[in-house]
Amino acid sequence: MATTTTDESEHTETESGLELRRIALYGALLALVGAYLSPLYSGLTTAFKTQEAYRNTSPLQPPLEGFTIDPWVTAGSELAFAMVNSFAMVIPAAVLSALFGSLTAYGLTKVDWRGQVFVLVLFLAAVFIPYQAVLVPLRQFWSMIGLSQLHPRGELVELTITHIAYGIPICTILFRSYYQTLDSELIEAARLDGASLARIYRKIVLPLSLPMFAVTLIYQFTQVWNDFLFALVLLSNRSNYVVTLELNALAGSMATDYSVQMAGAFIAALPTILVYILFGEQFAKGQTL
Amino acid sequence: MDSLRNSIKRLNPLSASDSDFLESMPFWLPATALVLLFVYGAIGWNVIISFTGWSGLGQPDYTNFTLEMYRQMPSDPDFMASLRNTIALLVAFTGVSLVVGLGLALLVDRKIRFESTFRTIYLLPMALSFVVTAIFWSWMYASNGLINTTLSGLGLGWLAHDWLGDPRFKLAAVIFALVWQFSGYCMIVYLAGLRSIPNDHYEAARIDGASTLTLYRRIIIPQLRSSTVGATVVLMVFALKAFDFIYVMFGTNPGRSVDILAVTMYREAFSSSEWAYGAAIAVVLFALALTIIGPYAYTQYKRGAL
Amino acid sequence: MADLQLDDVTKVFVEDDGNEITAVDEVSLAIDDGEFLVLVGPSGCGKSTTLRMVAGLETVSDGAIRLGGSVINDAKPAERDIAMVFQSYALYPHMTVRENMSFGLEESTSMPDDEIASTVEDAATMLGIDDLLERKPDDLSGGQQQRVALGRAIVRDPEVFLLDEPLSNLDAKLRAQMRTELQRLQEDLGVATIYVTHDQTEAMTMADKIAILNDGQLQQVGTPLECYHEPANLFVASFIGEPSMNFFDVSRDGETLVHDDFTYELTSAVASELGDHDELVLGIRPEDIELRSTQDDTHSYETFVDVVEPMGNENNVYLTFDADSTETFVATIDGLNHVEDGQSVIAHVPEDAIHIFDRASGSALRNRTLDTQAMPEPQL
Repeated sequence: MATTTTDESEHTETESGLELRRIALYGALLALVGAYLSPLYSGLTTAFKTQEAYRNTSPLQPPLEGFTIDPWVTAGSELAFAMVNSFAMVIPAAVLSALFGSLTAYGLTKVDWRGQVFVLVLFLAAVFIPYQAVLVPLRQFWSMIGLSQLHPRGELVELTITHIAYGIPICTILFRSYYQTLDSELIEAARLDGASLARIYRKIVLPLSLPMFAVTLIYQFTQVWNDFLFALVLLSNRSNYVVTLELNALAGSMATDYSVQMAGAFIAALPTILVYILFGEQFAKGQTL
Repeated sequence: MDSLRNSIKRLNPLSASDSDFLESMPFWLPATALVLLFVYGAIGWNVIISFTGWSGLGQPDYTNFTLEMYRQMPSDPDFMASLRNTIALLVAFTGVSLVVGLGLALLVDRKIRFESTFRTIYLLPMALSFVVTAIFWSWMYASNGLINTTLSGLGLGWLAHDWLGDPRFKLAAVIFALVWQFSGYCMIVYLAGLRSIPNDHYEAARIDGASTLTLYRRIIIPQLRSSTVGATVVLMVFALKAFDFIYVMFGTNPGRSVDILAVTMYREAFSSSEWAYGAAIAVVLFALALTIIGPYAYTQYKRGAL
Repeated sequence: MADLQLDDVTKVFVEDDGNEITAVDEVSLAIDDGEFLVLVGPSGCGKSTTLRMVAGLETVSDGAIRLGGSVINDAKPAERDIAMVFQSYALYPHMTVRENMSFGLEESTSMPDDEIASTVEDAATMLGIDDLLERKPDDLSGGQQQRVALGRAIVRDPEVFLLDEPLSNLDAKLRAQMRTELQRLQEDLGVATIYVTHDQTEAMTMADKIAILNDGQLQQVGTPLECYHEPANLFVASFIGEPSMNFFDVSRDGETLVHDDFTYELTSAVASELGDHDELVLGIRPEDIELRSTQDDTHSYETFVDVVEPMGNENNVYLTFDADSTETFVATIDGLNHVEDGQSVIAHVPEDAIHIFDRASGSALRNRTLDTQAMPEPQL
């Protein structure tokens, strides 16, 4: 609207009033951008500053004097193994919970039988349950199963399975909301064509679900990568630490060195930030269910 | 005759919907079993543990049950402080996030240029781990951090505080940071709601001569009810379990001014090995969450949204 | 061989609160090989449910569906040797036209690939879509998608075609064109067909036989002209025909029908058909009302023209008995016949064209008489 009025040579009073309002609107939007980015900005400037520059300059100032990448090197070498652990856990956890979610939503949405709504209510409630309510039994359960005794990496497997189980409800709900919009005549046509439920899933539903897989995978990737609580409770061996846990440990051990902390925070957040920038639309879709 | 035929029909094991049920089982049963075990089984187990009085090393004794854990809660000042803080956090965080999110949505919805860039920036904090944001905000709130330096720079040095050290400000500082992280989420929920209002409504109101303010107050915002309800449930439930941020910022023992049930639960169970007490606090948390999600799930079900 | 039979087929839906809703109530129908049956009725009358029971997409609560003599109630959809065209066409959006048409053959037969390919190509040629085989449904027009949906049904070479409102998504012109094309196709293939629609024009123009459903109950089965001229009851009389038949609530006084605005003398022969029913409904089709300028016999009435709807070929004239009344009835006259709003005209209601129904039960007591002139034999 504003762009069209600027092209006109003659401004009436209301038009210039409109113009002013547009300027105020963009001013407000930009001020908010500043506010929303400020924690990242102060982190980024600080991560490139030497200890001396950090002490002598405001976090508002860019790291022009006393520029260094040492904090990144320090934090990077501290976090490298934990990044690997995180990837090893996140990828199977995200893929499997999405796959389970899709299969379950298909079985509960596109196939008609009574009682499926009851199962869905269980899933919906499970999305919102505070995980504190399962922490003590979860620890008990895994110590009974004892994967961590079988293999030094067992803890990580326990954590991955845990994430799959707790990721299924949200993935199911996401896929279900998508499958509900899928024309049920498609499924019926395929049944008349003689396809079994498994074939219908494989040949019709799965190919049509690919956009939703993107949404769900991104949601689960972010969720599992960012998780701290389950990792805190299930991982005891430092070599199995995932990146959130190791970052917390790093922050604790370098409490006064904000430069290293900030660099570490950025390194730990980098995969999710990249995913977010590349797949912002899908990320937003997953958040709004 | 008819009733006889009907009963024969019901006994027939091969009716189409029954075979659908059987044929569909491989799709939903494994995941449902996992959810039943890990979510509902664990919740039940947790309730049982909360009655055992289990603490220290060793295993819970499942033969003796006691209500002691619940009885000691009212006289535990840590628990009561946590409960108060939890509720304060829940109310303030939810309310402020909704208002800020609605404001952002209304600004972004005004047919602006670079809309998706603005949206992306406001929603960005949602993509970050609480561990990461807690570290960013520890630095923001530090004595020489961005907030205090900016205040001094603006000649408002008298406003500068030790935000994370002063018990008066700790909880507010946490809420402020969490609002920063979640308001973008509220924004996209409200934006989706705004976008689902048919254009006709805007145009009809314009023709009726409504001012922009009236348009939003009388026509648009009332139609965002379901967005508000959905976002409120998500925010409140999140507030109950906002563990990571406070734990990373303050550690296991953040002090009574900012302690919340989620942190108290973890400390009792996993630091002090007061397993049963921790489990009991978790039950309280779960009950609080149920009072929020129960009505929501019920209305969703009633509206046929499931 | 392929005659499809429905015997007292009933569908009861149980709602969540335990309420039972009878969507289809003891419907009995028979479709012979090669016959085109149109199942017609207002929305919610149970016609789609009936079709879906035949397809195997809904369970049958009671009664039996037989195909070629054997009961298929519990057979899976794919085992029934039927093919269906859906209202939304239900084309698989990620598959090409060729893949869409081959899918059923791949899933339900052991036909070798080259045979599938030639079957698909033959059907595509027959439908004039052979140049679209490698395209995706989203790239096709509504009419083309419609043909693909038909092609997908045809390649299956089924015993019965089921068509669920297949033309409802097309615009009016294409709809008329597809109507004749579908009819021709069905005649060529000679496959028994059940066609569901809410549009009585489609029913009239396409069917060998019409079955009219209302509230889950079968009202009448017959040829289009039977249903039009000899409706079994008030519902059929009002549903078939556009504009709808005029109805007047009348009571009988001897051999006279008495309405608030007029009386209608019956001949004794007609009156004797009415038995002892006294509360009646008099029906007359709009095109059977003749408009004249002079009153000349007992079945003529002075009326006033309320509104004229010119349709081009004919005019729908809405008449009242009283210049101030808003209760109108409609007469259809030739389009070149000029009448004006407010004009007074004489409406003649010939006795051989009237229908008389029992008001309580709605069933027809007397239908119009047909001489060969009123219903000429088709001349080829």
